[in-house]
Amino acid sequence: MKSLKWIVPALAAIIFVMPVFSFAQELRVGGELWNRWTYQTGKSGNDTVTKKNSFALERGYFDLRPKFSESTSGRFTVDMFSTDSQKDGAGLKLKYGFIDFKDLIPIKDMTFTAGLQKVYFGTIYDWDYTLIGKAPTDEYKVATSADYGLTLNGQLPAGFGEYAVGVYNGEGYKAYGKNLNISPEFLGNVRVVPIAGVTLGGSFMTNSVDADDAPTYQKQVLMDGMARLAYGPVDVWMEYIYKDVEFPNVAGGVSDYTANGFMVMPIISLRSLIDYDIQLIGRYDRWDATDDAADKHLLNAITGGVNYNFMHDAKANPKMQLQLNLVQKAYDEDESAAGYANKAKDTTTVMMQLKYKFDNTIK
Amino acid sequence: MKRTIIIFSVVVALLLTLPLGAQRRKNQITTSGSTTVLPIAQAAAEAYMDKYPNINISVRGGGSGVGVAALQNGTVDIANSSRPMKSKEIASCKSKGINPSAYAIANDGIAMVVHPSNTVTNLSVAQIRDIYTAKIKNWNQVGGPNMPIVIISRDVASGTFEVFNEKALKGGKVDGTAQMLASNNAVVTTVASTPGAIGYAGLGYVNKDIKVIKVANVMPTEDTVKNASYPLSRKLYMFTSGKAKGEIGKFIAFIQSDEGQELVKKQGFISLK
Repeated sequence: MKSLKWIVPALAAIIFVMPVFSFAQELRVGGELWNRWTYQTGKSGNDTVTKKNSFALERGYFDLRPKFSESTSGRFTVDMFSTDSQKDGAGLKLKYGFIDFKDLIPIKDMTFTAGLQKVYFGTIYDWDYTLIGKAPTDEYKVATSADYGLTLNGQLPAGFGEYAVGVYNGEGYKAYGKNLNISPEFLGNVRVVPIAGVTLGGSFMTNSVDADDAPTYQKQVLMDGMARLAYGPVDVWMEYIYKDVEFPNVAGGVSDYTANGFMVMPIISLRSLIDYDIQLIGRYDRWDATDDAADKHLLNAITGGVNYNFMHDAKANPKMQLQLNLVQKAYDEDESAAGYANKAKDTTTVMMQLKYKFDNTIK
Repeated sequence: MKRTIIIFSVVVALLLTLPLGAQRRKNQITTSGSTTVLPIAQAAAEAYMDKYPNINISVRGGGSGVGVAALQNGTVDIANSSRPMKSKEIASCKSKGINPSAYAIANDGIAMVVHPSNTVTNLSVAQIRDIYTAKIKNWNQVGGPNMPIVIISRDVASGTFEVFNEKALKGGKVDGTAQMLASNNAVVTTVASTPGAIGYAGLGYVNKDIKVIKVANVMPTEDTVKNASYPLSRKLYMFTSGKAKGEIGKFIAFIQSDEGQELVKKQGFISLK
């Protein structure tokens, strides 16, 4: 915590300066809304029962992107969403609040970013929700999609790829000040595109250890390898995740564990074959949350999806999208076991989502 | 479980019936991007379609960045651009399986333009930078009349802006009072109607209603642009996914041919040869 003394006031100052958008040379206002219907079934005893049948605004991003100069710009994003945990049925989260400085360091195509920003780990930072489900590292709580931090990120020469190094708070955007992983977290990420259609990437993230912290303190080493193969209408994403957790203040290392998993996600775009922008998507996840034999939690998840992108922006990116997903999650232990999968249950879920975006430069 | 799968299958079936009967049109070439390249692409498309009536070419503007993004997304065959591709754009194309190939189709100089009544005839690159960053605010500071300078610029999606930013501003911040306009035409029209204005546009947009001034004592002419002695000279490009083949290749070869380069000159730009 002591080590964050200088970071927290600096970041807080940056974040609170963000609303001073009147200084901006240009201001883009944007948003993204996800209206979703979810229908989920699962076992209760020997019966299959409906566990969820609901409509929700899962995400309601409101986004301000001021540009202060050609080399300095920012982003301030809040997420307004449906939730039962608030009495009014809606919640609000701060998602991004950062500034990009492009010429602070005189290296071509390098940006210094300060504030609540993307976490450049695995596929989480450019996961565009082609399927409704989250990126694997997000889904299995390996990394968060945004966190408070300082990063250097940029492009390798000649379109060879990208990189990022940085230091984060380590708690993610949903928590601050809680006594969890509060020492700075260090990140390195590189992605290369050696030839057209082949992308290879690797990420590493670890936090430091302060033995005086609470017993719940975890030291984590996170590693991720990704590959993407794209040819014509076919685009296949693959990701392998490894997580090593130590509890320095728990004697004998009895609580220490490792977790690992992988994902394969093929996407077929029918846009080049027909006049409609339709995507067919599959996904297979295998996630072993712990190697502890007494607490087995091996998940196999299969997702099938169809996207119909029926409106696009000037850059041909989907602006309005109808998504349909079928997700089947199954744990490979006998469901009757007392500690089965940490009380998680096998489920089958259908989700239908209307997602739309807007983006305008108002100044 | 069965009921869930039935629901899913029914909705998939409904979605897939939507595009039935639709067929992608053959013999169609689509291009979009730079508004600077737009008149060349339009003139070339018209001439090419006259020659080959079975080919249909659609040409849209939007800015260089828009054209490159559309190429990445596979919705156009050719991205028109008034600047080279950026590292990020190349990486993004390649990661989607698109190997961008660049074809130079013309030379151009970014002409610095003022109102015809303005007596200033020359500015150095440093003076241009100081004007656009508002260190110089009156024409009398550069030998002109006692008149406030009105800064006219292109918007940031424009390739012309990016080349101007790199070659003239060298990273300097355009002053907040500048009018950021979406096209070369808008710049020229605004400068023509504003006595204190300064703007910049591709040579193809220069007309008698505005005055072109020298930059570092060099006028943008065919010779000075071709030999790059004009400080704001550049090439104009068409980008394709992989090597241009078939009708797309023939269309680009047509623009690069003597016949196509005559069209380039007719539009007020400088030919490659």
